[in-house]
Amino acid sequence: MNKLTIALASAIALGATTAQAETFKWAAQTDPQTMDPHAVNSAPVLGFLNNVYEGLVRRGKDMSVEPALAESWEPLGGDGWRFNLRRGVTFHDGAAFTAEDVMFSYERASSEAADTASWFAPVSEVTVVDDFTIDFMTNAPNPIFPGSIANFMIMDKGWAEANGVELPAKDAENFATLNANGTAAFRLAERQPGLMTVLEPFEGWWGEVEHNITRAEFTPVQNSATAVAALLSGEVDMINPVPVQDAGRVAERDGVDVITGIEARVIMFGFAHQAETIKYADDAGQPNPFRDVRVRQAVAHAINVDAILQTIMRGAAEPASQLVSPAMRGYTPALAERPAHDPDAARALLAEAGYPDGFSFGLKCTNDRYLNDESVCQAAVSMLAQIGLRAELDAMPVRTYWPELREDNFDMYLLGWSPGTFDAEHPIRFLAATPNEEQRLGSWNFGDFSNPRVDELLPMIQSEIDDAARQAMLDEVAQILQGEQAYVPLYVQPLIWGVRDGVELTQRPDNFFILRWVTINE
Amino acid sequence: MLAFIIRRVLQSVVVLLVVGLVAFSLFRFVGDPVDNLLGQERTIEDIDRVRSELGLDQPFPVQYFRFLQGVAQGNFGVSFRQGRPVADILAERAPATLELAAVSALFAIVLGITLGVYTAIRRDGWLSNFIMTSSLIGVSLPTFLIGILLIYVFAVELGWLPSFGRGETVRIGWWSTGLLTESGLKAIILPAITLGLYQMTLIMRLVRAEMLEVLRSDYVKFARARGLSQRAVYFRHALKNTLVPVITITGLQLGSIIAFAIITETVFQWPGVGLLFINSIQFVDIPVMASYLMLISVMFVVINLIVDLLYFAIDPRLSASRGGGH
Repeated sequence: MNKLTIALASAIALGATTAQAETFKWAAQTDPQTMDPHAVNSAPVLGFLNNVYEGLVRRGKDMSVEPALAESWEPLGGDGWRFNLRRGVTFHDGAAFTAEDVMFSYERASSEAADTASWFAPVSEVTVVDDFTIDFMTNAPNPIFPGSIANFMIMDKGWAEANGVELPAKDAENFATLNANGTAAFRLAERQPGLMTVLEPFEGWWGEVEHNITRAEFTPVQNSATAVAALLSGEVDMINPVPVQDAGRVAERDGVDVITGIEARVIMFGFAHQAETIKYADDAGQPNPFRDVRVRQAVAHAINVDAILQTIMRGAAEPASQLVSPAMRGYTPALAERPAHDPDAARALLAEAGYPDGFSFGLKCTNDRYLNDESVCQAAVSMLAQIGLRAELDAMPVRTYWPELREDNFDMYLLGWSPGTFDAEHPIRFLAATPNEEQRLGSWNFGDFSNPRVDELLPMIQSEIDDAARQAMLDEVAQILQGEQAYVPLYVQPLIWGVRDGVELTQRPDNFFILRWVTINE
Repeated sequence: MLAFIIRRVLQSVVVLLVVGLVAFSLFRFVGDPVDNLLGQERTIEDIDRVRSELGLDQPFPVQYFRFLQGVAQGNFGVSFRQGRPVADILAERAPATLELAAVSALFAIVLGITLGVYTAIRRDGWLSNFIMTSSLIGVSLPTFLIGILLIYVFAVELGWLPSFGRGETVRIGWWSTGLLTESGLKAIILPAITLGLYQMTLIMRLVRAEMLEVLRSDYVKFARARGLSQRAVYFRHALKNTLVPVITITGLQLGSIIAFAIITETVFQWPGVGLLFINSIQFVDIPVMASYLMLISVMFVVINLIVDLLYFAIDPRLSASRGGGH
């Protein structure tokens, strides 16, 4: 490949297009680490590649599941789904899209080398019926299966074979790490890892074009102060995120605006439910009070979520009462109230549980994972102190945090959870089910919360086709989790994007930035 | 001489090995890369599998030995984060850092010497006093603050210069340069000033002090007595004699310019190896961290070696038996 020619050509292209309004430039903190849609299962990668690759289904502006490469789908008997594929779709290189490509992508994305394999854990068999019909059989009825594979992106079989990328690269780079060939509205024009990634509209896209972008340039900007400066100076049209503390200042500037929304992520405190003793601070070695539901309830009553949101989140977030936000499917509206801030009630509960003078314990927190996470924990420590709970705060970077939690090194801890399926079943499976390695249950339930009724309801929820019956069971689980105070949900994390005036875009709760919803008015 | 070089090279190798060992013993405390590699839906089994695939379940001396084995074969490993060979990534990023370092070194030397000479000649002028006072800012303000101030003034308020990035680059073989395009030249100004300000101040103060010393010496007085022009006295005689220590210091500082470009690169999103290193710490990308640390220590060792050899060449009193160096 002649690199000089490419550089010159792109330099000329840059010079030619910078004058036009439709070049859209945006910056985010993380560079998508690969262009391979099956190699890693991480939000920066999947969010970015949603502009380049498409799945059988996709999510709309309100997160609803809508047709993409499949025009329609229907349950098969009860143990599978039939997808009727869209005709006349072509990949960016001109190849036609057929069921063979779906089959190939399924095999690729569910292979040992793929990080996306867990999406297909419920799948028993996939069969190509004809060129535009494909069946996904599941081990049990699975009502949310189509929505759960919204990020399963389809790659062209011929392209993959021609370039030797039949499998995602695990420990070496391959052609698909740096190149892409999808069916979506934008094609990858240039990829320089860590520097710049350029997308251009795909003329042959099957859908109706809503955007007016002729070229889109993505730059990772790690330092948030630099990103804000780039937005204010007009070098980029959009940044994600704007730091909470800068949001007010940015909003006041002429020419730029701050767009605030609600992310799917719920921030909560978790407890050591099974540990015999307290592990940290002065009372280390004493019996573990968090095994008593009254103590957990006291914690819930002690924390003034409204104050945290006003001072630390500058009013940008919303209180949470459950493990999912109201925007998710399966949320329980009847339990929308979170325990009131009531220190007296909290002290009474503690006294009743036998701790009239409180106790001390260790609180583990991240300091670089969630928005202002350490400040939230510091605020919680002082609120807990008011009812006599003396928390010893240990805040650390997320890269050391998960290993600590896995080693059970905590008495109480902070956790944020964004359900990958946008369904209330997701946190039940990962956070509330009794940990069971073989059945892949409770893998993030660090505190070993365990409730037999929840464990009993989970498989029933997973295979219930009838929406009303399913919701009734989800409501029951939410009721148990709130009654047991398995976790103390605090708030739903906000999304804060900075946008130049004249740019219209849509903020989706999964923090994916969808380019085809961007219009530039000038 | 040869024996001296061989001994120094052997000492250098030992230093490198020790640096590597210390680095690997510390990587455990940086964190665990596995959670970054696996998604939300990972199981404990996945974690164990990936850990053993990456060799993270081995004790650190074993990990270190495997790394050295690879390096000996010219293989720096594969980045956990990008899934690409570390050597390729470093080669991609090195030009940005080296160009930035070169431009800021140039800035520091040219401006440092000019201002140093000026303040020495016009010792009591108001401009000299002003320069000397404001140079304190260069020494005392932390780099990231200077960078953010410059961005605020020149990018946000005045809009003259870009706030981040390297501008357009042109490829010449494997080297990518930003020095041949207008946007690339504009982009390098602020980071180069930020990175070079401290060195510039240092050189300026050094030149000034040396210059004042030399101007008091007898041969300058004789030169004046001979009726030489001011210019000839200052530049041909005085300045020349101040440059020896300046060159030594500058050589040593060049290493630190490259090594400490990390902060400047982070503030300006300058796509060099320093930014890469910061990213790799956050991701616990051990192959990248290890290779970067080794490269930087090789660089320091080489620079020190050259400086030692220069001393050796300049000062015959330094016999091989005394080792030399500092």
